[in-house]
Amino acid sequence: MPSTIRVFVARRILTMNASLPVATHVAVREGRILGFGGAEVLREFGTVEVDDRFAGRVLMPGFIEGHGHAVDGLMWRKPYVGFYPRRAPDGTHVAGLKSIAEVVARLQEVERLMTDPDAPVVAWGFDPIFFDGPRMTTADLDSISTHRMVMIGHVSGHIQNVNTRVLEAAGFSRDSNLDGLVRDANGALTGELQGPAVMGRASRAVGDPGILRAIDAPALWDYARIAQRVGVTTSTDLANALNAENVAALQEATTGAGFPLRLVPAMRAREYSLPEGLARIADLKRMSHDKLHFGIVKLVVDGSIQGFTARLRWPGYHNGAPNGLFYIAPSELGEIVAAYHAAGHQLHIHTNGDEASELATEMVGRAIAAHPRADHRHTLQHCQMADAAIFKRMAAFGMCVNLFANHIWYWGEQHRALTMGPSRANRLDACATALAAGVPLGIHSDVPVTPLDPLFTAWCAVNRITPAGRVLGAGERITVPQALYAITMGAATTLKMDHLIGSVDVGKYADFAVLEQDPNDVPASEIKDVGVCGTVLGGVPGVA
Amino acid sequence: MNPIPLSVIGGFLGAGKTTLVNHLLATARRRYGVLVNDFGAINIDAALITAQDGDTIALTNGCVCCSIGDDLGDALARLAARVPAPEHVIVEASGVSDPWRIAQLALIETGFTLEPLLVMVDATAFLTQLADRYIGDTVARQLGFAELVVINKADLAPDLEAVCAAVLRLRPEAQIVVCEHARLDAAVLHFTPPPRPPASRFSADVPDHAFPTSVWRPSGPLDRARLRTALEALPRSVLRVKGFCQLAPENRWHLLQYAAERWAFTPLDTTPEAGLVVIGTPGMPEAATLFAAVEA
Repeated sequence: MPSTIRVFVARRILTMNASLPVATHVAVREGRILGFGGAEVLREFGTVEVDDRFAGRVLMPGFIEGHGHAVDGLMWRKPYVGFYPRRAPDGTHVAGLKSIAEVVARLQEVERLMTDPDAPVVAWGFDPIFFDGPRMTTADLDSISTHRMVMIGHVSGHIQNVNTRVLEAAGFSRDSNLDGLVRDANGALTGELQGPAVMGRASRAVGDPGILRAIDAPALWDYARIAQRVGVTTSTDLANALNAENVAALQEATTGAGFPLRLVPAMRAREYSLPEGLARIADLKRMSHDKLHFGIVKLVVDGSIQGFTARLRWPGYHNGAPNGLFYIAPSELGEIVAAYHAAGHQLHIHTNGDEASELATEMVGRAIAAHPRADHRHTLQHCQMADAAIFKRMAAFGMCVNLFANHIWYWGEQHRALTMGPSRANRLDACATALAAGVPLGIHSDVPVTPLDPLFTAWCAVNRITPAGRVLGAGERITVPQALYAITMGAATTLKMDHLIGSVDVGKYADFAVLEQDPNDVPASEIKDVGVCGTVLGGVPGVA
Repeated sequence: MNPIPLSVIGGFLGAGKTTLVNHLLATARRRYGVLVNDFGAINIDAALITAQDGDTIALTNGCVCCSIGDDLGDALARLAARVPAPEHVIVEASGVSDPWRIAQLALIETGFTLEPLLVMVDATAFLTQLADRYIGDTVARQLGFAELVVINKADLAPDLEAVCAAVLRLRPEAQIVVCEHARLDAAVLHFTPPPRPPASRFSADVPDHAFPTSVWRPSGPLDRARLRTALEALPRSVLRVKGFCQLAPENRWHLLQYAAERWAFTPLDTTPEAGLVVIGTPGMPEAATLFAAVEA
C-alpha cells in the first residue's frame, strides 16, 4: 500500500528557496517534502489528505539552533532566578526577577516548600548586570537559609554567589586570600566566586554538580519541548563528551515515539587523544539516524569576553584587564585541526576574542595548504570580535561563521563600557561584514547562556539594540530576510545539513516552524514578538 | 597525620613536564600520586602499569596517575583517601595554563603542604616563544610566580646564557636548575631536599638548589589583623611562609600558608607546635623581623 500523502495548506509558506520563495501548499510523504507550491499541489500527486489546520498560519522551514546546549533541559530542575522572563519546558512563563530582593524572596519561597531538611537551595540564571546598587552578598543569601547551603549560578556560567554556610564548608574565609574570592571594602568575603577553581570547590561542598551533571533522556525531552515552543526543529548540542553514557541518553531520547527535535551533538575533541577521537567520531557517524546526526567536532580556543578569559588582539581589554589565556596552545590547535581536517571531518571552533578567531583561521588555512579539501565548512563559533580582514580570510578558506547575535542585547552595554570599548563594540557580532565577505552565516543563542528563541536572535541581528536603547554599530545590522535565512539555511549550511533541512524543497525533511504572522509583515523592531504556535517535524505537527 | 607534600609543575607545551613526570615515576623512591590535566597525553611505559580504571592508572611501584578534572580539591581528596595514601603529590598543569592559579588553591588544603612551584622552560624554544605574538605573554606569565625554574634541553640550546638571563629578568626571585632530557633528581620537588642517597651510577648528577629558610617561633597567640598587615607587606624576596600559630582572641590553632601574595589561615582541631617557616631568596629578611609586630 502506498504511503499516505498529506498536503498542508497554510496562509503563506516562506520557503527560503529561490525557485519559489512563497508557497501556500506543501505535500508530505514519509516525513519528507514531496512537493510545494500553490493549490495545484493538491492535484499533482493523485489522492491526498488535505490538512488545513495551518490555513490561518505562516509556515517557515523549521528553525535551526546552530549553537545550543541541551543541558538547558537539565537546568529547569532548579529554580530560575534570571532578570528576563523565560519559559520552562512545560510552557510556564517564569517571570524575570528585577532586584536582589526579588531573587531572595523567590528563593525564600522555594526554601519554605522544601521537605528534605538538609537539601541545598541551588538556583540558576542569575543576571545582576542590570541591577543598580550593591552586588549580592552572603547577607542576602543567609536570609534564605543559614543552615542550608545556598548557591546561585550566574547566567554567564563564570560566577556563583553562595551563602556563609557554603563558604564555611568550602573552607573559604576572610583569611583565604585567593584569586576568585570577591571581597567588600572591608576585606570580608561577599560570597561571590569567580572562575572554575573556586567555583568547583564550592560546588563540591554543596554536593551539586550543576551543569557538569550527565544529561539524561528526560532532560533531552525537556530541551526538545523548549525548542518546539520557539519553532526549532533541529538543534546542535555543542559540545558533548559523547561517551557511552551520553550516547545512550541521546539514542534513548531521539528514538522515543514523537521526540520533537533533531539533535546534532558535537564531539568535544579534547575528551580524547587524537587517534581515539578520530576513531570515535568515525564510529559515531555510523550511529546517526533521522533525529540524531553525529559528525561535527568541537574545539575551544579561548574563554568568554565578559569573563575576561577571551583572547583579544592589541590593545586587549578596554578596562585594562589582563588578556585571557588560550585554552589550547597554537601548535596543538594546528595539530588537531590538521588531523580532523585531513580525515574529512568538520570542526566547530569556539573563538570569542579576535586573536582566537585569527589564530583558528590561520590554523585552518595551514591545514588546507597541507591537505587541500573542498567544502570542509569548518565553522568559527561565537567569533564575536572578528573584523573585515578576518572574515575575508575565512571566506577565502571556505569557512563558515555562527555569530552570537544575542550578545548585542545581553552584554552589548557591558562590552561597550568594559571589555571592548565603544569603537570595537560597534563590530560585536558583525553579521553584515560577514555576509559582505561571503562567509555563510548562522546566528545563535548559546542556550542556556541566553534563552533559545531564533526569532529573538534574528531580532538582535536586525536591530542591534541594547537595553539602554543604543544601536551598536548600525552598519552591521542585517535585513529581516537575511536574518530569517541565517536561522534556517544559514545554520543548515554551517552544519553541512543544507541538503536535509533549512528550506522547503523536494526531498528535505518536512520540518516547519508554525508562526502566527509573516515576520516580513511586521516592523523590524517587532519580529521577536511574532507568535510561534509550534512545529512540524517530519510531517508531524506538535503544538506549543 | 603529616601533610602530604604537593608539587605543581608548570611550563609551556614541549618544556618537558610529562617527560619529567614519567622520569620521576620510573625512578620513584616514594609513592607518588600524579594529577594530570590532559589525561590523554600521559605516556607511561605499559610494563609499569598494573591497572587502569577510568581516569586512574596504578603503577607497579605503588604510584598512581589520575586526571585533575574540574576541581583540584576533589582530586586531592580522592588521592588522599587512597590506601595507602601517596607520599607526595605532583600536579602537572596544562601547557597553556598559569600554574600559579592552580597552585594557590593548595594553600587552603590542610592535608597538603605546597612545595616549590616548579616551572619548566624549553631552552631551545624559550627565546622564540617569548617573542611569539600568540604565546609570548603566556610563557612570561607562567614564570611570574615560579620558585624553581627548570631549564630543560640545555644540551641543545645554542644560547643557554641568554635563556637564563631572560628567565631571571622575568623572575629574579626564582632559583634556576639546568638539565637535559628532563632528567632530574626528585630533590627538585622540595624546598629543602632530603638527604641524597649515596652516589651511584644510577643517580643523575644534578645541580643543587637551596632556598634560604628562617624560622620564627611566636611566644603566644598572634593578632589576626596585624598578621594580615604583615603578610600584605611581605617583600618579594619572601616566597613562602608556612606553619602553625594561635590566633587571638579565640586562641584557636591555625595552619598558615602564604605564597606569592596569596595566603590562607585554616583553623585546626589539633594542637601543633607553634612556628612559622619563611622561605625566600638569599636577600630575604629574618623571619623574626618580618613578624615582629604581630604578637597579640
